[in-house]
Amino acid sequence: MKGFRRLLYPYAVWVGAFIVVPMLLVMIYAFTTSGNSVLTFRLTLANFARFFSDSIFISVLWRSLKLAFITTVICIFLGYPVAYAISRLKPGSQAMMVLLVTIPMWINMLVRTYAWRGILLETNLSPEAKVYIGMVYNFLPFMILEIYTSLSKMDPNLLVAANDLGCDNRKAFLKVTLPLSVPGIISGITLVFLPAVSSFFIPKLLGGGSFVLVGNLIENYFVTTGDWNFGAAISLIMTIVVLLSMRLTKHFDYSQED
Amino acid sequence: MKKLIEFRNIVKQFDNTVVLKGINLDIYENEFVTLLGPSGCGKTTLLRILGGFLAQDQGEVYINGEEISNVPAYQRPINTVFQRYALFPHLDVFENVAFGLRIKKMPENLIKPKVERMIALVGLEGYEHRDVTLMSGGQQQRVAIARALVNEPDVLLLDEPLSALDRKLRTEMQQELKRIQQEVGITFIFVTHDQEEALTMSDKIVVMRDGIIQQIGTPTEIYNEPKNRYVANFIGNSNILDGEMKKDYLVSFDDKDYECVDFGFKENEPVDVIIRPEDIRILPKGKGKLNGQVLSVLFKGVHYESIVETRRGASKTITLHVMDDRDVVNEAGNEKMHATDFTMDIEDVASLTSEELIARANAQAWNPDNEEDHPITSVSHEIQAKPGKYPLTFKSAKGTEITVSVNVVEPKFVEDKDNEIGIQAFDVYKSVDEIRESMAISVDLRTWADAYAWDLETEEEIAIDDVRFDFDANTIEEGDYPVTFVTEGRVYKVHTTEKQEEDALVSLDFGPEDIHVMHKEEQG
Repeated sequence: MKGFRRLLYPYAVWVGAFIVVPMLLVMIYAFTTSGNSVLTFRLTLANFARFFSDSIFISVLWRSLKLAFITTVICIFLGYPVAYAISRLKPGSQAMMVLLVTIPMWINMLVRTYAWRGILLETNLSPEAKVYIGMVYNFLPFMILEIYTSLSKMDPNLLVAANDLGCDNRKAFLKVTLPLSVPGIISGITLVFLPAVSSFFIPKLLGGGSFVLVGNLIENYFVTTGDWNFGAAISLIMTIVVLLSMRLTKHFDYSQED
Repeated sequence: MKKLIEFRNIVKQFDNTVVLKGINLDIYENEFVTLLGPSGCGKTTLLRILGGFLAQDQGEVYINGEEISNVPAYQRPINTVFQRYALFPHLDVFENVAFGLRIKKMPENLIKPKVERMIALVGLEGYEHRDVTLMSGGQQQRVAIARALVNEPDVLLLDEPLSALDRKLRTEMQQELKRIQQEVGITFIFVTHDQEEALTMSDKIVVMRDGIIQQIGTPTEIYNEPKNRYVANFIGNSNILDGEMKKDYLVSFDDKDYECVDFGFKENEPVDVIIRPEDIRILPKGKGKLNGQVLSVLFKGVHYESIVETRRGASKTITLHVMDDRDVVNEAGNEKMHATDFTMDIEDVASLTSEELIARANAQAWNPDNEEDHPITSVSHEIQAKPGKYPLTFKSAKGTEITVSVNVVEPKFVEDKDNEIGIQAFDVYKSVDEIRESMAISVDLRTWADAYAWDLETEEEIAIDDVRFDFDANTIEEGDYPVTFVTEGRVYKVHTTEKQEEDALVSLDFGPEDIHVMHKEEQG
């Protein structure tokens, strides 16, 4: 076993250089103000205070969470029936359908979003509606795949057993299939909610400048304003909010309990 | 006892394979019935039809006198214990067992005592809130039984429920199942391919094969009076022999006649004879009915299983010389002549006649235009009563002549004094055409080679069981080919409580009541 551990080293170096160090930098920036030098740190909570004292920032955060939440819910309701239908097909057709669901993901997300911009340009939809269309379009395949995976792993004998114990098809679905696909829904939520809450280019491209989300805020402070300290603080706040919401969804996932 | 379930002429087909070929079966209240057979015999299909998970193509299923073919599975008074248990992984033991009752919307205050009683019945008290996915196979099995039985079905179906358990646990669960069945008084229909399991638990065993019921009976009936070779083979470990019923109470097998207790067969009807290994006694050589030698002894726990060979296989290989036709053509006389080499026994030389030589060499003369036979007028030879090759010349009236070679040999046979078996066969000389024209080559080879096997002691003939050769008679070319005549050995399995010595010369003994005669299975 021990010999194989060495195989982890390249990855550890990668993670260290490109995830851990940047995260530490983000933390340092978040708790300091501009004008740091190598020797002097001025630790401060001012960045956080600024965020929470301004209702605009709070409302942007709230809007982001709401957008991610509604996107996730739409994805579940659109994705579940698709995933369920695919899992009922013959194995060969299942692979084909999964391929069809995945094909859009072969094209860069940015490219697809630009395409949507073109499509939606001539419509009278509100910026909000356009953003939702783009979000659901981009994240739906993840939801379908996750739910499909959990459904296809389900022992079909369980439905026969439910039938045997007095369930008609509707009851068997509600009592057996649905509860057993919860882990799939949970990981689908993880894969949709997380990127959705922090996405910035979909709202930017489809919503125009009028639909500001946390992601846009962060982008703005890092890229446009150059206030890295405040940008880092917002990133950190969002990271914590996301972690908390994930903890909350895990709570509903029986399979994660011991 | 009241009739609970009736299968009437059930036919089921999958993709042009007929899996059930007209099953008729009655099952009574409070019976433990086992459907026994190898995989693919249709037993599980029958169970699934009863459970409502499959629809039959033809026939009716009645429960309590009512036809239920159109009743969906979830409305049938039947519950099933599945092969892989199919427990709900998202529910604990209690909720798994309560599942059926909750579906029926039974009040909570009734569910609790019922579920607890059932969990106690299968011996899982204290496990109510365990995660079923973390339980052992045996425990999961018990949960599955409780989950089915709590619904108080008229029939409990069990689809090879013990096949995933290890041997010790399986034995334990067999007894458990029997106890539970007796306690709840519900009809159990149990599907298995394990004959021991069937014999241990059942009130009634239904032996199936290829979609047909072979025999229905109690374990004792099935074991002691199997209806045919198939059932006998499937149930227990038997010596099954080809025999012939000479007349009532007299059966012949292994070239000897034995008294038996069976009657009602046609005279000289070919039958299958079975002798259970535990019914044979081993006596010192010469004291019993069949002499033989102990080949191997295996310890089987409560008894020893000895393999006793009463006749060793013997074989003799000869050469088949295949020659091209050597027709001699006499253009002037418009005549063709033909003859082949042959081999003869030295003992036959003294009594040779011309007619016999013509016959043995298959010598012929004929007019090729009208196929008219011409007589052979002269036969000359120098054959002596000494092993060797001698020329033999035939002449016709028109002066055509042909010479063949006669191979005189000592009578050659393999003799096996220990086994008291002799086998003889001669080399064969045949033309390509003769071989190609043969309708049944192994029968002809036996005749041509004069192959014969016999008991050295009694001089009785022993059947040659097999002729082995490695050529295709339809495409054979000139050349020499080995042909082997084989008599197969006969071995008996014998169970004894005392250990037998390997290689010991012994005698097997059994009484008339130990011989069980069965009709040959009908073909198809």
